[in-house]
This record gives sequence, structure tokens and C-alpha cells, in this order.
Amino acid sequence: MQPYQEEYIANLKEISLLSVQRGQDAPCFEAYLEGQRQRRARMEQVVARNMSLLRENLFPLLDRLFEAEAAQLVELEEFAAALFDGRSELDVGLFRQIYRALLSRSRLQKSRNDMIRQLYWLGMGYNCLCTKLMGLESAADGYTSRMRLCFMEAAAYLKYFDEIEDSGTKGYILRSRANVALGQFKSPSEKIQMVKYTLKIMQDKEYQEKAPELPWNRYIYMTHLQMVASLSRSRERAMTPQDIAAVMESVYIVYQQQLAQAQERGERPPARISFSYDSINYYCGLDSLDGLLGRMELLMDRAEDDDYSADGIYAMISLPAFYCNFLQENPEKVPERREYLDSLYRRATDYVERFPQPAENETLFFALRQMTIGFVETGSGLSYGDLLQRLLVRFLPEMYVHSHTVGRTAAAFCRIVLEEEPGFFDDMDSIREITDFRQKEDAVSDYAMKAGLFHDMGKISFPNLYSLTARQWFEEEYELASLHTQIGEDRLSRQPSTRPYAPVALGHHAWYDGSGGYPDSYVRLECPCRQMVDIIGLVDWLDNVTYTTHRYTGMKKTFPEAVQEAIRLGGKRFSPLLTGRLEDPAVERKLAEALEGSRREAYRRLYETFPGRQAPAPR
Amino acid sequence: METEKKVGADAQKGYLIVESGPDRPFRILYADQAACDLIGISAEELLGTAAPKPSPSYLDSAPVALDAEHTLWILNSRDSRLRSEAELIRMNQQLEEALSAAEAANQAKSVFLSNMSHDIRTPMNAIAGMTSIALSHIDEKARVQDCLRKIQTASSHLMSLVNDVLDISRIDSGRMSLNDELFSLADLIHDVAVIVRPQAAQKGHVLRLDIGLIREENLCGDSLRLRQILVNIIGNAIKYTPDQGEILVSISQYAAPDPAGEKGERLWLDFVCQDNGLGMSQEFLSRIFLPFERANNSTMSKIEGTGLGMSIVKSLIDRMGGRIEVESQEGAGSRFRVQLPLTPMPQSRSSYERLAGKTVLIAEGMDGRAEKLAACLEGEGILFTRVKSALDAVACLTQAQSEGRMPCALFLGQELEDMPVLNLASHVRQSAGPDFPILLISEADWAQLEYRATRAGVNAFVPCPLFKSRLLDTLAKLTESGREHEDDSVANIADYSRCHVLLVEDNELNQEIALEMLSCNGVHAEVADNGAMALEKFQASPEGYYDLIFMDVQMPVMNGYEATMHIRTLPRADAEKVWIVAMTANAFVEDIRTAREAGMNEHLAKPVSMERLQEILHRQLKETDENHSMEEKG
Repeated sequence: MQPYQEEYIANLKEISLLSVQRGQDAPCFEAYLEGQRQRRARMEQVVARNMSLLRENLFPLLDRLFEAEAAQLVELEEFAAALFDGRSELDVGLFRQIYRALLSRSRLQKSRNDMIRQLYWLGMGYNCLCTKLMGLESAADGYTSRMRLCFMEAAAYLKYFDEIEDSGTKGYILRSRANVALGQFKSPSEKIQMVKYTLKIMQDKEYQEKAPELPWNRYIYMTHLQMVASLSRSRERAMTPQDIAAVMESVYIVYQQQLAQAQERGERPPARISFSYDSINYYCGLDSLDGLLGRMELLMDRAEDDDYSADGIYAMISLPAFYCNFLQENPEKVPERREYLDSLYRRATDYVERFPQPAENETLFFALRQMTIGFVETGSGLSYGDLLQRLLVRFLPEMYVHSHTVGRTAAAFCRIVLEEEPGFFDDMDSIREITDFRQKEDAVSDYAMKAGLFHDMGKISFPNLYSLTARQWFEEEYELASLHTQIGEDRLSRQPSTRPYAPVALGHHAWYDGSGGYPDSYVRLECPCRQMVDIIGLVDWLDNVTYTTHRYTGMKKTFPEAVQEAIRLGGKRFSPLLTGRLEDPAVERKLAEALEGSRREAYRRLYETFPGRQAPAPR
Repeated sequence: METEKKVGADAQKGYLIVESGPDRPFRILYADQAACDLIGISAEELLGTAAPKPSPSYLDSAPVALDAEHTLWILNSRDSRLRSEAELIRMNQQLEEALSAAEAANQAKSVFLSNMSHDIRTPMNAIAGMTSIALSHIDEKARVQDCLRKIQTASSHLMSLVNDVLDISRIDSGRMSLNDELFSLADLIHDVAVIVRPQAAQKGHVLRLDIGLIREENLCGDSLRLRQILVNIIGNAIKYTPDQGEILVSISQYAAPDPAGEKGERLWLDFVCQDNGLGMSQEFLSRIFLPFERANNSTMSKIEGTGLGMSIVKSLIDRMGGRIEVESQEGAGSRFRVQLPLTPMPQSRSSYERLAGKTVLIAEGMDGRAEKLAACLEGEGILFTRVKSALDAVACLTQAQSEGRMPCALFLGQELEDMPVLNLASHVRQSAGPDFPILLISEADWAQLEYRATRAGVNAFVPCPLFKSRLLDTLAKLTESGREHEDDSVANIADYSRCHVLLVEDNELNQEIALEMLSCNGVHAEVADNGAMALEKFQASPEGYYDLIFMDVQMPVMNGYEATMHIRTLPRADAEKVWIVAMTANAFVEDIRTAREAGMNEHLAKPVSMERLQEILHRQLKETDENHSMEEKG
């Protein structure tokens, strides 16, 4: 690799360390706050350095990629491999950018082996995006198509297997062929047929003899694994007898042998293996839902709540998440399991509270994100809002600071508006009904606070985009980030405790006059709480450009500059009813104080979550 | 029998119907010829009589009260007498029938006027109401826009009501004449589809437009009125079918003897529109073509309309020498069939001959649609391979490319088994290169699809329902050897040869590649090696000369930002307008913003993607190309 490439990688690793919330050793809150300021300043320095590394070195190379030397291209691919190797990801956005450029070059030069390899890796880059959008099919579909088309194009060279001498390229062809079956399908049959065809190729002796150096057994095993994986992700469930036969064949190879071997050794098989086996039996019609739920309960009851390994996390967090997912799809099964569900959530949250340095454990955070997707609110136990708040504080402290600041500042803004116009928020039924002014003010402030706290919840799906990106975003990443509005609305609207705030999550980036912003699905005039959405949208923007996201968007302003810009955009991006008020210097001052004070308050709450500090975790 | 004879024997009686009452002036409503003869004045004069006059002395008159305000006067010469009571009753019956027919016609007109006044008032009220809301929220742009959109809808509805009334008045007064002009049936059906599809979509209907055997697409007739007939019938099916209904429209042609016997065999257009909507009673069916008639039930009365549409349709069909049949059952739906004689104007088919033997890849998931595409090709000896999924298409093209046997084009159908068709287009544009023709054949509205499709790399669009000539003309034009026979009637294929594009790029290899990509799209660009040269070239060119500038950012002497800023400040009319595209690998959102701040209009990331390049060319040069064409045509 080139020195600039190594430095860029080192900077990424530093950003990764800096993103973890630290400061438990700070002697007092002020010292902690100073530590946070220094941490942010360092992150900004690193980001600026990385930007200049790319501008001065990588972009000129991409600019003249068609005349790049072979050694430069090799280094570029090495650099890309360090950014993403299929598993660990440091910067997948830049990885895709590089591979798209390389592929364009190879296509033009008709360099077959390069094309095959680059198609495979570009496909892997898209696959990484697809996994982040799990649960939001409409957004993932485009990326899934791109991923599959890349893999399929590479796989189509199987026809020329004999002609290709390079065994690495042959391996890419076979792996691409297998990877065409990644991602979500309309029906299990579609996927099963695809995997069956891949298996047929992998098991074909003729192919094997043509490239004996390739790890055929591993390929075959991985293909069987693919056959039994993610069956639940198909949109339709019906399977044919042939499908079931194919799946059960793979189940035998992948799981049954492992289960039998564990039994012979007198060991209990890991919960992951047992659940995978049980759920496949259910999907194939060999077990009832009650039967499956019963088996899952056994596995969950057996889980050890002091096991902080990946298996322990699986049993304590992932399994309950899947269990709830089944119940979410079959709500008639919930009433009889209400108490059990409450105890499951209690155990899970206690487990996370006790977890040593949870914020540094990506597996734990991933499992908790699974839990937010399949959550079932019982009314008597953990609420969805509580779970989200805990996640923010523990794993996404920067997002917590931003969300808390937006909520508190929006509440302050609401009070200013209400003083002048008590009926301002009467577009909301729940507010209109309140006749007493103070009660109305409290209700509006409470709503604004919670709406602010939850407005960015969709970002939980791709936290790395915010906390680990050590440069400004590319356009593709900006588009991806914009999906957080739809994801947030989708998640919040599923649970009674957060449903009222879903429109705010959806509409807070939409423009007042509809001429810009996103998403298109938000129609301001049809929104039942549009005035509140306007307020959260404005305060969110003020905090973003002055403090939170300018690192990724490159838009940084002082507070007075931001206010002037907001006033300029009144009637277009922001509600003129709000920007009109910003023209009053007293209102501007109050908002500046609210932003500053709320941010400080958020940091104090984070500080108090460290062991040994007096206040409990925020509720 | 006795009575009949007596009535028949008397021929010297006259009848008058007189209207008079406390609130009504005296008026003779009806007078038969015998009454006119007996009184000795004409019917016109008699009906104009404004006051009762004494009857001539030689006349006997017998008044019979019909109701409180109408009286029947039976006039006899003095030597005659009413001979039987039965005769009087018979006469009364006849007159009552005449009166009720007159009243029914009058009532239909009254109902029409009442409906019309309601139908006109409703959109007028909406316009007035929304205008006042807009005025009271004049500072809220979104609110005002919403009001204006609603005003636009109401005024277009009002316009259609007025047009109907004007049409029927023209027909009534015999002032409507039919044109005899050459038209394309394909264009006509496409226009109809563009109008009715959104209406059907709004109600969630499945609207199928099937094209059967078409003997000749180029016809002679009044295409405007023909379109009016089809839109009216399909529009009614849409209106009178509850949401989520099904409407099947089929169009075909057959040859049959000319009804006038003058032209031997004539070509007939056979149009059938069938729906599963509300249907009509047998009683209403007998009145369906009368003006001002609308079915009278609670569901239908909520649907807006003048009741003139079918009457206009019938009159137009009659004038065209055609026929219309209606079958309907209440609650089950209706079926309209229109047959119209049209004059064929055959076109030369030689332009398709050179396509014979070439291969096309058809990517379409639905068998029926693929078969129609295949049928269009088979007739001309064009070979095809069909795939149902995008993955199969990519495998097929990758292998064909490797073996140097690429098909001459890809036909992208309406849908694929595994993903949206535009996802495939986008990938194929990258893998197969810039000059591989991709045709999209779809029922979708091109106006709505154009931006995404062009961006995905689609070269041309052929609308459905599918007409062979459209498909093959487009294919011929897109395949290289057909370019000398360009036909302006084929839509959506751009020719940028008259456009002036400036490429500003310092790197020779990049220049070469960009020029190659531009020339694949029919653009012959001029080159400047840096920003300073670009500025010089722009200054030296006549105003409005350059249509588009692709500007590299990092260049020696003068970079792209500076060059753009200088161009933008030049004292000439086109300095602010010329479209400048930043072409650079710097792809951060901040870079895109910096480019905009420097005065560039948009950003194209390097290495340049063909699909983005095509999208920019299409968007920026299409209009310019059209303007150049118009200028040339003078």
C-alpha cells in the first residue's frame, strides 16, 4: 500500500476508538466535558486529514485511472481490501467507490480476470449495504438487485471455466455463483432453486478436476449453509415438497451432524445451532409454531446470564429477539405469554446493564438492534421507547446528545410559540382537547421532548455511517442516510408507546413547501402534527449544522449564521411561522441558550451512567 | 269496432291545446293541421297567439280540461257534432301521449339544466373557495400550491363540461363536419392510453388494452373525433365501475364490404370496451343515446357528467358511417362495441428488410407479453432469444459478449421475475457498453418514467399497447445500419449532431475516452485543454453557441471552478444560462456543493458512468435538438 493509504487506514482505526464513549476516569463532570470537547476536536482533525489524503492522492489517481500503472492498481486493490474484506468493515463506502472505478476501467480494457474479481468484490460491497437495510425491503431492493447482477455477471463466465487459467479467478466465479443467492427473495423456492443449481455445479466432478487446487469441500459446505440460512427472509412462505427435501438434505449436513456429535460428547449444543435447526423444521412444516416457541423458551431459560461470549449474547438477546419476532407476526399468541415476555425483556436489560464495556461490543449492539425490530410491547413491561433510549445512551452517545438536545430545544421553542399563539399546535387532536393553558403547554413540551428524542431512531440501522465514517459522505451514503426517516417511521409506528412520534421521524427532513428534502412519502398538509414536525425539523437542522453532522456533510455554521440561513429559507425549507419568530433577537438568544444547555444536560446524563456516579440511567 | 268506424268517418275536427292559468299567460301549445285549416291561419301564427280570440262563428268549440292549466279545444264546423263519447276519449288519449312526450323532452332538458347548473356550480364553487383560501394564506407557499392544484383540477373539469355542451350544440345545429386526414392508429391509441390510464389508476382499476389483428396502421379519417369516441366510452367504463374494477379494451381490424357499395371492401376498425361495473337497466339502454339522459339511480347520480357524452358518440359514429352496439346488465357491467369504416393508407415496409436475420434479446417475465413481442419480430425474419429474469439476461449477454455474438438490441419488457426492469437496464448499460441499444416496451407513462429510464441507460421507449410498426421503426433507427433512414415520427431517440458541446479536460487519455463516449451518443464535442482555453473558446463563440460544457476541475493554468466563475460573469446573454457539468473524481457532497457555488449546474463523478452521461445529454440536449430542428425547418 501507499503511505497515504496506510495513514488513511490508521485514521479510520483511530476514529473507531474515538467513537466509543469514554470518560469514566474523569474526576468531575467538567473534566469529562472537556474530554468530550477534545475528543470531538481530534475527530474533526482526523476527518480533515483523511479528506486531504483522498483529495491529494486517491482522487487524482481515480481521475486518471485509465493510465494508471499496474503497480498502482494492485496497491489500490490492497487498499480496498483493507477497507473491507467481506467481514470487517472500515469504510465500505470508499471500497465501493474504488471498485466501481476499477470495474469501469477493466470493462473498457476488456480485462476478463480483473472484471470477474472486481464484480465479485463490488457485489460484496452491495451485500454489506443490503444487510444494513434488513427489515426495510423497499429500500434494500435496489441494492439487492445491483448485488445480484454483479455476482451473476461474474458467474456467467463459468461457461469459460476451461479457458481461464488463473485459479483465483475460477474461485471468484464459483463464489459469485453461490452469492447470487444472497439477500431476500420473493419465495423460498426461488432461492432454493438457485442454491440447488450452485450445489450441482460445486459437486460436478468435471469442474472439480479442472481446478483441484480450489477448496471444493468448503465451497460445498458453505453452499449447504446458504441453503438453510435466512429462510425466514422470503416474503412468501410456501415451500414445495422438492424444496423441503433440498433444505433437509442441507440441514443434515450442516446441523444434524453437529447436534449428534455434541450429544455423543455429552455436551449441550450451542443455542444458535439448536434454534437454527428447530426453526428450519418449523419453516419446512415439520413443527408447529407452538412447538417452536416452546423449544425456544427452553433454550432461553437455559441461557446463562453471566455468559458474555458471542454464544451468551445470542442466547440472552438474539433468541428473545427472534422469539418476539414470531409473536409480532402472530399477535394472537401474545396474551398467554405476556408475563414471560416481560421477564425476558427484564433479563435482557439486566444482562446489558451488567455487560462489561457493552459499548465496545458490536455483537451485542447488533443483537439489540435485532430486538428493536421484533419488539412486542405488552403494556406491563419494558416499553419500546425505554429500550430505544437505553440503546442510545449505551451505544450511540453522540446520537443521544443530539436527540436530547433537539427534544429539549424544541420544547423550549414550543413554549415561546405557545405564549404568543396558544392554539398553534391545535392541529393535533390530543392537544386541541386540552383547555387549560398550563396543561396544554406541558403536553406540548412533553411531546416535543419525546419526538426530539426519537426523531432519528432510523439511524440505528446504520450507526457506522455516523459514528465511524472518517470523511465526508459520498452521494450514495447521503442517499442511504436519508432512509433513516422511513426506517424510523416504520419502527416507531409499530409500537403504541412510540406511535405518536412516527410522523416526526418521517417528516423532519422534508421541506416546508415540498420542493426539496425527503422522503417523498411525507405530505406536510396531510400530517396530523405538521407544526411539531416543522419545529423538530428546524431545531434538528440548527443542531446539525452547528454541532452534530457537519463532519459528514461538510456544512458547518455558527449559530447566528445558521439562524440567518434558516430565516432566508423561511417559506421554502422551513415554516415561515417559525423563521419569522427567529428574527426576534430575544427568541434567537433563548434558542441558543436552550441548545447549549440541553447539550450540556445530555452530556451530564451520559456522565452519570458510568459506574460509581450517583444518578441512575435516564428514563 | 263501431266506435272505430265513427272516429274514422269524422275528418273535419281540429284540436288545440291551450295553456292558461292564474300565473300563466294564455298560450296555444299545440295545434293540428285540421285546426289550422278550420281557423284558416298557419300553425306558426296560431302558436304565436298571445290572447284568447273569439272563435269564428262557423265553428263550434268544445273545451275539455286536461289539468288545472291545460285545456283541449275540439273544433268542429257548426254542422258537425261530437258523435260519440268514445271518440272523445280516444282523442284525449292521443293528446295526452303527445303532451307527455313533450313534457318528457322538456323535463329531460330541465333535469339537464338542473344537473348542469349543479355540475357547473360545483367546480365554480371549488374555484372560488380555494381562491379565497389561497388569498388568506398567501405567505404559505405549500398551502397556496395545494389550492392552485385543486383550482387546476376544478377548472379542467369545468372545461370538459363546457366542451360537451358546445359539441352537442354543434351536432344539433348541423355545424359539425368531419376531417379526412392521414393518421397513425398507433399514435391514436397511444394518446388514448395516456389519457385514460391515469384515470383508471386513480380508481385502482385494471385496464387492459389489447391489440388484435391490425391490417393497416396508417389510416385516413377524423382522428380527433375518433379519439373522442374512444376516450368517452373508456372514460365512462372507468367512471361507472366501482374502484378496483376491470376494464378490457380490445382493438382490431377486419375487412368487409363497403356498406355504400362504392369502394368494394373497406377496412373496419373494431373497438370493444367491456367492464365489470354498475351496468345499466334495459329501460335505460333504450334511451342511452338520447341527449341529456343519465341513468337514474343513487350510485350513478353521484358520478359527475352531463349526460351528453353517449349522444355525442352516437352522432359521431353515425356521421362516420359506423355502428355502435351496447350490451349491459345491471350490477354485472357493460360492453360497448364500435365498428367504423376507415380508409387504409399503406406504408412501405422495405425499412425492416435489413433487420432480417439479426437477433434480439427479449427480457420479459410475462409469457403473453413476450409472445406479442416475438410475433412482431417473427413476421420480419428477426431472430430472438427470450429470458424471464434479469439474472438470465445478464448471463446471456455476458456470454454473448465474450463470444462476439451480441444481439442487436435488448427489448426490456414490462416486468421481470426477479427485479424491476430498470435495474437490469442500468447494469447492462455498464456491462454492454454505451452503444448497445436498450428499448423499453412498457404500458407505463413515459413522461413519468423518462428521467429514471434514461438515467438507467434506456435508449428508446416503445409504448404499449404494442404496435409492430412502432417497435420495428424504433429498432431500425437504433441499429446502426438504419441511421440513414431516420424518421422523425419515432419518438424518444435523440440526435445531438446539431448540438455544440465543449469538453474541458487536460488529460489526453481522459479526453479520448470522454470523446469516445460522447461520440457513441452522437455528440461531436470540441475540446479545451484547460479552463483558460475553455474561457477563450466560449468568449470567441457566438452567443448561444454552446449547449453544454463538461468541465474537469483540477487542471493546469486555470481550474474548472475559476473557469466557470469567469464564464458566468461574462457580459453576454448566454453566460448565465449555459449548462456546465463538473467532471471530477472528487465526489464528496461538499465537492458537489462547491461546484454549484462556483456556478456549475451539476456534478458528474469520474470515471464517467455512461448511464449518468446519457442522462445528462438526454436532459440537456433533447430540447436544444428540438429547437435546432425547428429552426432548420424554418
